[in-house]
Amino acid sequence: MRQELLIEIFSEEIPAQLHRRAISDSAAVFTSILKSYGASFSSVTSFVSPRRITLRVQLLVQRTKDISEQKRGPKISAPQVAIDGFLKSNQKEKSDLIELDGYYYLHVEIEGREIKTLIGDMIEDFILKMPWPKSMRWYLNDQKTLSAFWIRPIRSILCIYDDEPIEVYVESVGITTCDYTYGHRFLAPGKLEIIDFEDYFEKLAKSYVALDYFKKREYIFKEITKLAATMDLCVAQDDDLLDEVAGLVEYPFVHIGTIEEKFMKLPDAVLSTSMKVHQKYFALIYQDSVVSPFFGAVTNIPNTDVMRIGMDRVLKARLSDAAFFYKEDLDVTLEAFAQRLSNVVFHERLGSIVQKIDRMMSIANTRDEHRAIALCKADLPTQMIGEFPELQGVMGEIYARQQGETQSVSLAIREHYKPTSASDNLPSSLTGARIAFFDKVDTLVGLLGVGIHPTGSKDPFALRRTALGIIRILCDFEKDVLCGETLSWYIITLITAYSDQGVALAPTTLADVQRFAIERLKTHMEDKLGIDPDVIEAVIHSYNSLEFNYKAAIEKANVLSALIPTPEFQMVKEAYRRASGVIIERQRLPQDSVASLEFENIHMTNLRNSVMKQEKLPQDFDVSVRTARALLDACDNVLINDADAAVRKRNILLLNQFVMLIDTNFGVLSFLRSS
Amino acid sequence: MGYVKKERIKSFQDIIFDLQRYWSDQGCVIMQPYDTEVGAGTSHYVTALKALGDDNWDVAFVQPCRRPKDGRYADNPNRTQYYYQFQVIMKPAPKNPQELYLKSLEAIGFDLSVHDVRFVEDDWENPSLGAAGLGWEIWCDGLEITQYTYFQQVGGVVCSVPPLEITYGLERVTTFMQNVESHFDINWNGRMDEKKLTYGDVLGRFEREFSCYNFDVASVDMLLEHFMDYEKECQKLLNHNLVLPAYEQCIKANHCFNLLDARGVISVTERASYIARVRVLAKSCCQAWLESL
Repeated sequence: MRQELLIEIFSEEIPAQLHRRAISDSAAVFTSILKSYGASFSSVTSFVSPRRITLRVQLLVQRTKDISEQKRGPKISAPQVAIDGFLKSNQKEKSDLIELDGYYYLHVEIEGREIKTLIGDMIEDFILKMPWPKSMRWYLNDQKTLSAFWIRPIRSILCIYDDEPIEVYVESVGITTCDYTYGHRFLAPGKLEIIDFEDYFEKLAKSYVALDYFKKREYIFKEITKLAATMDLCVAQDDDLLDEVAGLVEYPFVHIGTIEEKFMKLPDAVLSTSMKVHQKYFALIYQDSVVSPFFGAVTNIPNTDVMRIGMDRVLKARLSDAAFFYKEDLDVTLEAFAQRLSNVVFHERLGSIVQKIDRMMSIANTRDEHRAIALCKADLPTQMIGEFPELQGVMGEIYARQQGETQSVSLAIREHYKPTSASDNLPSSLTGARIAFFDKVDTLVGLLGVGIHPTGSKDPFALRRTALGIIRILCDFEKDVLCGETLSWYIITLITAYSDQGVALAPTTLADVQRFAIERLKTHMEDKLGIDPDVIEAVIHSYNSLEFNYKAAIEKANVLSALIPTPEFQMVKEAYRRASGVIIERQRLPQDSVASLEFENIHMTNLRNSVMKQEKLPQDFDVSVRTARALLDACDNVLINDADAAVRKRNILLLNQFVMLIDTNFGVLSFLRSS
Repeated sequence: MGYVKKERIKSFQDIIFDLQRYWSDQGCVIMQPYDTEVGAGTSHYVTALKALGDDNWDVAFVQPCRRPKDGRYADNPNRTQYYYQFQVIMKPAPKNPQELYLKSLEAIGFDLSVHDVRFVEDDWENPSLGAAGLGWEIWCDGLEITQYTYFQQVGGVVCSVPPLEITYGLERVTTFMQNVESHFDINWNGRMDEKKLTYGDVLGRFEREFSCYNFDVASVDMLLEHFMDYEKECQKLLNHNLVLPAYEQCIKANHCFNLLDARGVISVTERASYIARVRVLAKSCCQAWLESL
C-alpha cells in the first residue's frame, strides 16, 4: 500500500510472557522514533508473535516536515553555560541569537528529508530503544563483533516502504534488510516474498502464523471452551496462563487430554497448579468448579496420537511426583513441620520464621488465633511447597483439615496471606484477618526497622503491597481487628518483641512504619479511589500520625471530595482564608468567652451569634456555612483592624474563634491550596 | 508407535552414537567425559573455562552428572542422583543454531511432523559458577528434553564471544524415543533377545547404593574437612598459576557441598555461604584462566 512502512524483526523465540507488553512497547517506541525524525504519519500498529515483531506505519509521508521556527532558549539572565548549550544543540553561533521578551530565540530551519534515507537509522534506534526486561548479545560471525542487545538473536529483517523493498544494512545486528520472511517454523518454513502489509498478513495467515496476538488468545479460549462444553465442562479462567500459552505458539491447535483416575484423589489446587505451572495445560472443571480428569492443551502443530500420548504421560509423571509429595507430607503433622521452621530464615537480620511466629503470638488473643498462628507457616517445609511455592497457605489449609483442625483455624491458615495483590480479596473470617494483620505488621516493622525500604520500582520484599494489605484490612475490619488497641500499640508491641529476641530495630521504627503506611494510603486513595491529591493531603494532615485512623481518613476524604465543588464549601473556605489572614496567632479561647464579647456593630454582633451556635454544633457543616456567610458579610462591612485597640482585639478574637473551630472540625481546609 | 523403528529399537547407546556422529559432522571435537564428579556438563572445564576468551571452540561429549539430592533409591521412574547429559558447545554459535539442533533430533530418529517441539523461555543461572545465559528449555510434547543456552557470562566475567550450550537429557530423550515410562526400563544396548540390557540392569544397583550413601551414610565430618581441604588446595594451586588443577579442586569442593546438602546437615543460611565460597573459587579460576590467555 502507498505510504506504508512495514518492518519485521525476525528472531529466535521471544519469551511468551513478554508478548503482551512488547506489543504496546514496540508501538510506543517506534512512534516516538518517528516523531524524533519529524515524520508525518497517521498510525503505528505492532504485532508480536513467537519469532517476530512487526511494525506497520500507515500514511507515512515520503518526506519529513520542513521545520522553520523561532525556537525559544534560556532567559537572557541565564548562565553562559545554558546559552552555549542552546547554541551548540542547534548548531548556531552567538550572532544568531535573537532577544525577545527577556528570552533568547534562534531561528531554526531544518529541511525535510526523504523517509527512505532515514529508515536504516530508525531501525537502529528501534533496536537500541526497545525495552526488554532481560536481553542478550550474540556474536556476529562476519563482523567479528558482538551484536546490540535484543531479547534473542535476530535472524532477518523485512522492510518495505511505499510498495518498495528497502535494502539497508543494520550494523548493530549485522543484517541487511530484505523483502521476504518465513512462515511457521514447522508447518510452512519456506521464504515468503512480501509486497505490502496486506500481502504480508495474508501470506502469514496461509503459512500458519497467527499475527494478531489478541485474536489468537481469544481463539484459544473459545476453542478450548467449545471442546470442554461438549463434555459439559468449563475452562478454569486463567488470564496469565492464556497470555503465556498464546505466546508459545505461532498457530494454535487445541486438544483435550486425560488425567489418570488415580490422581484425582489429589487436591484440586495441586492438580490445577501442576497442570498450569509445569505443563501449561488448562484445568477443565465441572459446573461446580471441581477439577475434572481432563485438561485443555495448546500445541504449535496439529495434534497427533503420539503427541497426545506424550502429553498425557508427562502430566502423569508430574502428578506421580505430586502424589508422592502429598503422601509423604501427610505422614508428618503440621506441628512437626512447624518445628522445622527454625531452619527457615525469615530475613537474615530478623531471624527465623519460628521467631516471627513467637512475635505474632505475643499480640494474639483467642485460642483459635494462637492455634492458627502456630500452624500458619507450617506448610513451608513440606515437599509440596518445595515443588509449588505458589501453594503456600493453600496446602496449609488442606493439611490442617486432614489432621482435624477446626474450620476457623484451617481457613485462617490459608487466608492469612490475603490480600496477595491490590485486586485480591480480603480474608473472609476475623481470625484470618487478625493473623493476616499481625503477619503483615510484623514484616513491615522488622524490615523497615532494619532500614530496608523499597526504592523506585525495586521492592523485593513487597513492602508496599504489605502496607496496602494492612490498610485494606483496617478499612474493612477496623474495630474487630484492632481489638480496642491502636495500630501504634501493635507496632510498639512488636518492636518490643523483636528487641526481646535480641533484634534491635531503629529508634525511629514506629514513625517510619506509620509514615510508610500513610504514604501507601495516599497512593491507594489517589490511584484506586480517585480522590484529589489536595484533599488527601488535607485529610492526612488533620491527624496526628500516632492516632491515625485509616478508615476514618478515607471516609473523611470522601465527604470532603463531595463537598468541595459546592458553593457553600467555597464560601467557608473563603471566610477561613480571610479570617486566617487577619489573626496574628491562633489561640484557643476559654469556653463561653465569645458570649461575653460585646459589639456595637450589627454585622459583628450577627457574627458573634453565629459563632456561638457554631460552638454548640461544631461538626455541623451547615452551621459553619452560616457563620462563614456572617463572617464574609462582616469583613465586607467592618474594618476589622479598627483604630481602637480594644475594638480591634475583640474583632480579632471572634475571627480567631471561627478559625479555631474550623481547624478542629474541618481542619483539612487549611491544607487546601487556595485556587 | 510410528516413531519407534519396528525392525530395531533405537537404543540408549545408539542415541549417543548418533549424536556424536551428527555433531562431529558439524565440526565438533568429540571428547570423553570429565573424570571427576560434576553436577552438569557445564562444570567440565571445556565448557566453563573455554567459554571465556576469544578463541573458537566446538566440542561435544557425554557427561555423567551427579546430583546427590535427586537420588530416590531407584524408586522414582525419572529422578536419579546419577544421569547422563550430552553436551554441545559451539563458540561462537553458528548462524543457524536452532535448525542445527532440530536436525540433530531428526538424526536420532525424531519425526518432527508428529511431535510438538517448542522453545520455552529459560533464564539460565548457575550461582556456584557465577554463570548466566539466556535461551530455552526445549519441550517435546510437553517434556523438557534439552536446555539450550546462549552464555552471557561465566565466573562473573562477560563472555567476549558468547558460546552456545546445548544440553540433551539423554534418559529423557531415550524414554521418549523408546516410548517407555521409566528411565530404568530404557533399552541400553538395543538387543531384544536374552542379551538385552536395560538402564536398570546397568545402573540400578549403582543408583540404590549411592542413594543410601548420599542420604544416609556419607561421613559428614570427613566431607566438611574435604571441603576445606579442596578450598585451600584450589587457592594454593592458583598461587602456582595452575589454573586447571585449581579448577578441579573447585569442582571437588562443590561436590562435597552437594553431598553435605543431601545429608541434610546444611541449614538455609549456611547453604548460601557455601555456594558463595564455591563461587569465589570459580571466579578466581576464571580470572586466572583469562589472565593466562
